[in-house]
Amino acid sequence: MMLVWIKEGTAQVNTSSATEAREIGSRIVIAGIAAIVAILAITAVLLFINLPDANAFNARVERLFIENDTLTGNAEIKLLEILAQSGTAFSDTLVSYRFIIFVLLVFATALLIAAVAFLVMLIALNRRMGRIERQGIEVNSLTISRDQKAVYLNDFEFKLTDAAIETLAVLAEARMDDEVLTGAEIEGVISGRNAADCDEAAGATRIKRLRDTLGNQMMSELLVKNIARKGYVLAIDKDVIRMI
Amino acid sequence: MKKLCSTFLIFWLSAGMAHAACYADYKAKRDNPLRLHYGVVEVRGDCSARNAADQLRSALARDGWQLLNVVSVFDDAGLDQRRDSAGEYFLRY
Repeated sequence: MMLVWIKEGTAQVNTSSATEAREIGSRIVIAGIAAIVAILAITAVLLFINLPDANAFNARVERLFIENDTLTGNAEIKLLEILAQSGTAFSDTLVSYRFIIFVLLVFATALLIAAVAFLVMLIALNRRMGRIERQGIEVNSLTISRDQKAVYLNDFEFKLTDAAIETLAVLAEARMDDEVLTGAEIEGVISGRNAADCDEAAGATRIKRLRDTLGNQMMSELLVKNIARKGYVLAIDKDVIRMI
Repeated sequence: MKKLCSTFLIFWLSAGMAHAACYADYKAKRDNPLRLHYGVVEVRGDCSARNAADQLRSALARDGWQLLNVVSVFDDAGLDQRRDSAGEYFLRY
């Protein structure tokens, strides 16, 4: 195993089902957004097609003029022309309406896309919250700081001994390479000897010590809290406690 | 000689009558902005609405007008009653 020590490294722990769900989710988001854009595009096209044409008024006036043989006087013709002109003025207004409608449609598209995105995000978050609630603790980030001899699980800081940090770092490296280490291999990497010469029990002991220190601190942080000069208390909601 | 003269006179009169007595009233338009006019025109040759329309179309097109329809064809008797309505387009084309 190639081993490169990192000062600060993060390892993300994701279950495969979560990744799949996220992929399906993003596909749904893309499909939903595409559907919204398509629907609104069709709406826009239909709207623009169905808006009355600027010449509709003129055509109406023209037909009126043709069909009525009595409308031949000078005054009547002037009146018809004024009618047509007011129609044309109205069609100018329609053009501005068209623009306003277009802007509103763009707004609607943006808002609907945002709504869908937020909805999907909300669903994903809800699922995640549900999982977290059931799992107890989900590790989203693991930061090992060898300088400060500390490991950060999510936002919790745990102080570790040199030996425990070393063990955790080896395990983290192995995890990033998707490798599983035996106790002898762990001991070999840390002590710098060949794994074949190392004792399985020595590695197991290192793991036990890591578990003890980390587990102890985790318990005190997450479950049994020590309040200075006051005593101990369970760090959980009292409603969730049930005695069977 | 007198007979020939009278025959010629009859021909000339009838031809002249047919020529002079045919008018048509029509409606025309111009687009952008829409302008309309009603006019009266003298028809040469065959005194029919179709002939009148044919003659009018080209004459009107020169000034940018478009013929909408020929309302009717009539003779001298109908001329006066249409003078006011046609206004400036009375016998203009």
